[in-house]
Amino acid sequence: MIPAPFEYVAPKTLDEALRLVDRHGDEAKIIAGGHSLLPLIKLRLAQPRYVIDIGRLHGMSYIREEGGQIAIGALTTHADVERSPLLRSKCPLLCETAASIGDVQVRNRGTIGGSLAHADPAADYPAAVLALDAGIVAASTSGTRTIAVTEFFVDMLTTALRPGEILSQIRVAPLTERTGTAYEKMHQPASGFAIVGAAARLKLGPGGKIEEAAVGITGLGPNAYRASGVESALLGKKASEKLFSEAANFASQGIDPLSDLHASAEYRREMAAVYVGRALGRAYARAQGKP
Amino acid sequence: MPAATRYLGKAMKRKEDPRLIQGLAHYVDDLVLPHLQYAAILRSPYAHAKIRSIDVSKAQAAPGVSLVLTGADLRDRIGMVPCAAQIPDMKSAPRPVLALDRVRFAGEGVAVVVATSRYAARDAVDLIEVDYDPLTPVVDPEKAIQKGSPVLYDDHKDNIAYRWELEGGDVKAAFKNADKVVKQRLLNQRLIPVAMETRGVVAEYKPGERQLTVWSSTQIPHLLRTQIAAMLDLPEYSVRVITPEVGGGFGSKLNVYAEEALTGYLAMRLGVPVKWIESRRENFQTTIHGRDQIDDIEVAIKKDGTILGLRVRAIADLGAYYQLLTPLIPTLTGLMASGCYKIPAIRVELTGVLTNKMSTDAYRGAGRPEATYLVERALDLVAAELKKDPVEVRRKNFPKLAEFPYATPTGVIYDSANYPRSLDLALKLSGYAKLRREQAKARKQGRVMGVGISTYVEICAMGPSSAMPAGGWESATVRIEPSGMVNLMTGASPHGQGQETSFAQLGAEILGIEPGDVNVIHGDTAIVPYGIGTFGSRGTAVGGTAAYMALMKLRTKLATLAGFLMEEDPSKLVFDKMKIFSKAHPKKSIGFGEVVAAAYTAKTLPPGMEPGMDATSFFEPSNFTFPFGAHVCVVEIDKETGDVRLLKYIAVDDCGNVLNPLLVDGQVHGGIVQSFGQAMLEEAVYDEQGQLITGELTDYAIPRAADLPWLETDRTVTPSPVNPMGVKGVGEAGTIGATPALANAVADALAPFGVRHVDMPFKRERIWKLMQKGTRRAK
Amino acid sequence: MKLSGQYILPASPEKVWELLTDPVRLAKLLPGCERLDPDGPDRFKAAVKFGIAAISGKYAGTVEFAEKDPPKSMRMKISGKGIPGFVNGSGLIELAEKNGQTELRYTGEAQVGGMIASVGQRMIEGASKKIVDQFFAGAAEELKKQ
Repeated sequence: MIPAPFEYVAPKTLDEALRLVDRHGDEAKIIAGGHSLLPLIKLRLAQPRYVIDIGRLHGMSYIREEGGQIAIGALTTHADVERSPLLRSKCPLLCETAASIGDVQVRNRGTIGGSLAHADPAADYPAAVLALDAGIVAASTSGTRTIAVTEFFVDMLTTALRPGEILSQIRVAPLTERTGTAYEKMHQPASGFAIVGAAARLKLGPGGKIEEAAVGITGLGPNAYRASGVESALLGKKASEKLFSEAANFASQGIDPLSDLHASAEYRREMAAVYVGRALGRAYARAQGKP
Repeated sequence: MPAATRYLGKAMKRKEDPRLIQGLAHYVDDLVLPHLQYAAILRSPYAHAKIRSIDVSKAQAAPGVSLVLTGADLRDRIGMVPCAAQIPDMKSAPRPVLALDRVRFAGEGVAVVVATSRYAARDAVDLIEVDYDPLTPVVDPEKAIQKGSPVLYDDHKDNIAYRWELEGGDVKAAFKNADKVVKQRLLNQRLIPVAMETRGVVAEYKPGERQLTVWSSTQIPHLLRTQIAAMLDLPEYSVRVITPEVGGGFGSKLNVYAEEALTGYLAMRLGVPVKWIESRRENFQTTIHGRDQIDDIEVAIKKDGTILGLRVRAIADLGAYYQLLTPLIPTLTGLMASGCYKIPAIRVELTGVLTNKMSTDAYRGAGRPEATYLVERALDLVAAELKKDPVEVRRKNFPKLAEFPYATPTGVIYDSANYPRSLDLALKLSGYAKLRREQAKARKQGRVMGVGISTYVEICAMGPSSAMPAGGWESATVRIEPSGMVNLMTGASPHGQGQETSFAQLGAEILGIEPGDVNVIHGDTAIVPYGIGTFGSRGTAVGGTAAYMALMKLRTKLATLAGFLMEEDPSKLVFDKMKIFSKAHPKKSIGFGEVVAAAYTAKTLPPGMEPGMDATSFFEPSNFTFPFGAHVCVVEIDKETGDVRLLKYIAVDDCGNVLNPLLVDGQVHGGIVQSFGQAMLEEAVYDEQGQLITGELTDYAIPRAADLPWLETDRTVTPSPVNPMGVKGVGEAGTIGATPALANAVADALAPFGVRHVDMPFKRERIWKLMQKGTRRAK
Repeated sequence: MKLSGQYILPASPEKVWELLTDPVRLAKLLPGCERLDPDGPDRFKAAVKFGIAAISGKYAGTVEFAEKDPPKSMRMKISGKGIPGFVNGSGLIELAEKNGQTELRYTGEAQVGGMIASVGQRMIEGASKKIVDQFFAGAAEELKKQ
């Protein structure tokens, strides 16, 4: 549990960090809360030459309203997301998701930006930000750009971030009327990662018809994804338990689920349907103003 | 034990806790010595391979590196890792401290680097180049004993370490007279002990004094000293072992490990102190594992539920080498195969198998959880077969009270028990009849609920020397210092059991002083007289008894002296509240300190009395003790996912007389939680290549507080006749009694799906699949 | 661990065969391959640096072709070891003509040992698939250029 030698750099500003990332390219790894990178370097599975610590940058940990959206700084810890009054009232899905991550120590150190940029196939946040249609803001020496979350998760541990970019902010829309969200997760009993995590957002129209449906799934494949099959099975239909369980059967459509010690591909597929069904049920109840 | 007590039997908070809670305790890794250097070990990535060559030149030249050694460098310099257990006709499986020309499990040490910093040592490990010639690994113990399997040792013809048999009663007749025979194959999976503190060693050698001091996180400081001296060929007086705070052992530190002698050797060779601290990954790969047995059982029964006989064919996966007690552990399963039942005829055939894995050895319960598991599962299978309530089948087969001490066909003698009493209490506390009604209702609603019972007996207080490889007695020295303060030195080596508190209560009770005035010292071979150590639930029953005997000796001496000074009959004196006084004239008293001072100033001693105030006792128990109890639990299974929730847990344990109920409850709680771990979560998994793929805590799941409900504990008290305090021991009760209760509950829950038995751990997918299959079958 | 898959490559089986058995071009295709030097007939010494994202390691090993039946099938054996552990793989590659293109099927087995096996089990399968995909995507790309 002792890392190979590396050079530690702690830039003072984001600009400085971006210049360092530019300069060192592949040889550098960015560290924020350290909860993904540290285990890897301690096991020597990652041996970066430079570790650029952005965890000390000022002004990158915040949750605020900005132009009708909620902006979350990349360095915001899971614990801060979990406890944010603003998110609790306007985007409770993120609070619920953050609360299900790891344990207290992990939540106190880990950051939302770090988790998303690492793109662990079993991390929790990706499901939630997918269901929220979030925007992922990437900064580089040539400015910033916003990546649609549906484009963001590319493959196992791989995102749409380009070399030289640092994830700087996450933008989500506040919850609208008659909308409910929920995150349902089967924990891997040792690591706490998701064997399956399903995040759902439902907006009800007049007469209980589903006007908007967004379902993000993590843990199943090499990267989190939007379950479009589930969504289209829901849209325009009248919400019911039966509809949810039918729609949930599309949860793993087109996905080749991972298989490991804790769950076979078959079981993951079945559980995706179960957990999507549960998330839809709870999101629906919340859309109706029930807890 | 006296009927009315001031301290004994009282729930005193632990004296150990303030330093532990405040972070003021010292573990091996907290020790820093001048010029300290650090060792790191290169370990084999292969489970089975020949070592063609090792090139250490780059490592040797790396910055900060003082020494790099391989197995070949240590040949004839350090003895083999010792095994104290002998089974007749057992094949040898000697382990050098570093591999010589062949590695036999993934993680086996191949070379060691010593450097001026932990970082430099670890960096240099990556510079060592080993040319391995991979061999086919032997992983599955059943395949390992088939013809044609690769063999671990060139001088062995197969991988069978030994065959061991035990038979009592007329087994053939039992099966001939049976109405039915119930059969089942049971797996007791391999577990990793996961002590919170990994192993660690610091060694320092002073050549002038010829003194090697070894600090190690161990449960057996004295046995370790003897073995290190033998491995390094030093006189035993040249070795001192100190056991600082030990962050959990669970049997995994009841051992002598390669690194303990190796670190000592390195310190001697370099002339500087050397530290080696095990990483968690090393801990998983190279500290002993537990369990790993396959038991095929056959139970001969009458229609009314009477058990006539039991046959067990057991395969024990011993791993690649023998650690201290490796071959012995599975034989304990045989000894306890009768459980708490009168089974007139028992036959156990045990095959110990060598495989390319880490050695198994004593892990909390050590062989007895396997026995209890197989007997308790058998009782439930019998009940299911006969469509009887498991309680009824148990009651039918308990020995009668008049039959105690009860001799089992496996050759052990249960000291004392009242099995119906603990069962009755557990049933009452759990509301058993009501639980069964609830279950019937739940089933109608389509819920999957199960109730599990286990009535267990365990063999503890290890325990007579005749049955123990290195002696089964324990020692204690009590020294009352001139100020009246007491130092109590125990040969036991508590590491979480709380005996600094319970022995202080014992000392205070016997001497009529305060527990705060009794200081318990352990774990330093230069201070404490030779002892055996803490394991096998022996700390209190054997170690405590030795302390009791030494305290009684001093009490007699104090009484003689006080009687002399007070001119009272010494046999009629009372010790209480720091005073010694006469029953006849309670107002006439002498201070405890005054009497002690008189013993040291030695001016007014009775004729023939030696000055000073200390005493040493060695206690040799005449038998083991046999604690017992009854556990009841309730589980509910999520039909959609297979997730098992434990809803209710009731434990009634009988460990004889109790010195401190808080400590007993703590032991029971911890044991139940570890049982829960085995039943629900834990499994050390080696893949087909012999790679331990549950190599870290990210994949090896251990229980967390939130996984368990409130544990309801209670006790019955059946004193043991084996020792004067009537105590039995409780350190392993939870891990022995609870696992089968949980397993029985899960099997009970799944009965409507046509499930008779399911192997542990009860992972969600496994349970889900059984329910799917059962549902399909029903359709 | 068992691996299998199939790809459509935009060239004839002969061209695909040529590509897969040409050490110079193969070296470019093997993800992270730094060197591929001949070491006897149909056998090469390789130095490879591969991994995904932050997880990467250097491996030294061999690439070997066996059971060659041009341009239909061959067995490719790969073995490597490095600080993170060792990898051994053997796969049967089968080529079949399909509408002027090549359908490539592979079935194989891989063994992973050491650190990666003991701490990375949940990602090994996904990562292996990803690396194989990269290899064949690169091959398709290379063949398109022709």
